[in-house]
Amino acid sequence: MTETGVITGAGPARIGIGGPVGSGKTALIENLIPVLEERGLEIAVVTNDLVTKEDAERLQRTGLISPDRVIAVETGACPHTAIREDPTMNIQAAERLADLFPHTSVILIESGGDNLASTFSLDLVDYWLFVIDAADGDDIPRKRGPGIVRSDLLVINKTDLAPHVGADLGRMVQEGDEVRGGKPIVLTNCATGDGIEQVVDHLCHDVLFGY
Amino acid sequence: MISIHLTQALGHAGDPGIAERLHNLSHRGCVDYLHVDTTDINRRRQRLTSEQGVDCMITLPRDQLLSNGAVLELADDRAVVIRISEQQWLKLRPRDCAAALELGYLAGNLHWREKFQDEILAVALQGPEVAYLERLHFFLNDGRAERAPV
Ligand SMILES: Nc1nc2c(ncn2[C@@H]2O[C@H](COP(=O)(O)OP(=O)(O)O)[C@@H](O)[C@H]2O)c(=O)[nH]1
Ligand SMILES: [Mg+2]
Repeated sequence: MTETGVITGAGPARIGIGGPVGSGKTALIENLIPVLEERGLEIAVVTNDLVTKEDAERLQRTGLISPDRVIAVETGACPHTAIREDPTMNIQAAERLADLFPHTSVILIESGGDNLASTFSLDLVDYWLFVIDAADGDDIPRKRGPGIVRSDLLVINKTDLAPHVGADLGRMVQEGDEVRGGKPIVLTNCATGDGIEQVVDHLCHDVLFGY
Repeated sequence: MISIHLTQALGHAGDPGIAERLHNLSHRGCVDYLHVDTTDINRRRQRLTSEQGVDCMITLPRDQLLSNGAVLELADDRAVVIRISEQQWLKLRPRDCAAALELGYLAGNLHWREKFQDEILAVALQGPEVAYLERLHFFLNDGRAERAPV
């Protein structure tokens, strides 16, 4: 292990970010980029959209990341198939980024907005997060969608909105814990950056070894 | 706690050269095992604690996969061998053809991993069994399907 992380022949780690439309996946990536960079990681991003490149273009415009480090995959069909049943397009995009930028340490792969049942293929990613919106209802964790149950890290985002819709965050975390068998849950507010350090701490401990 | 970084599968515990070294190491209690869940065998990077309490950070190349008996470390004082926990199955016997169609549709819709064994549908459990039984509640309650012995 070196001071700036583990160098291996394994190429960049790949981390999936899934969750329903509008839960804050792109916002989470925008928040993660500077914190990951601060810890010495070089980043690239793959976005999945149905028929546009909107998320990729939004990230490219932020100035947070060099635009050529962001590739859009247009899934053209059910977005979940591109991250689970046939992740070929996404694997190719990740390989292309790894070739173009050989020092890349992590590739973030945002799924197209999906339902609570979407999961990532481990042929595509090493680890995946599932992002839900606290304002979508505090009964979501109890419903045990595969995304909630099986993701490596559950992110409950938009905590700032919870009081406005009467969502009980404590209950969401407690019921989330019950169905996830101890796998971690983090509360975030992507409007302020609250909780982002914690997300990165989990990533560094679980997959981005040495950072 | 000792932390080690494991970056490749060096071979299999049964390989001729390796088997002998493992045998010798085992006399000194130096063969350590890493238990990997069946749902995690496709994972190239993961962090697990071994039987002997060693913190193992695994980073495999994309063209390698974990397998039962894979040897990830073979040193003078320690070997690390992968043990994959056995896949658990939930076996279901639909009552008739109509029930079988419905059950197959449900399982497909839920993206369960399954295999067909004559008139039995076997579901590979990738999480707690209770979560699967909840989804099957109506089928099991009204007799359209029953659990078959594993
Ligand atoms: N108030 C609030 N708004 C957020 C938060 N995270 C994301 N948003 C907003 O929610 C909307 C959807 O976010 P986006 O990242 O595009 O969601 P995606 O479809 O999951 O990628 C955008 O208008 C974001 O600005 C948050 O934590 N709090
Ligand atoms: Mg998005």
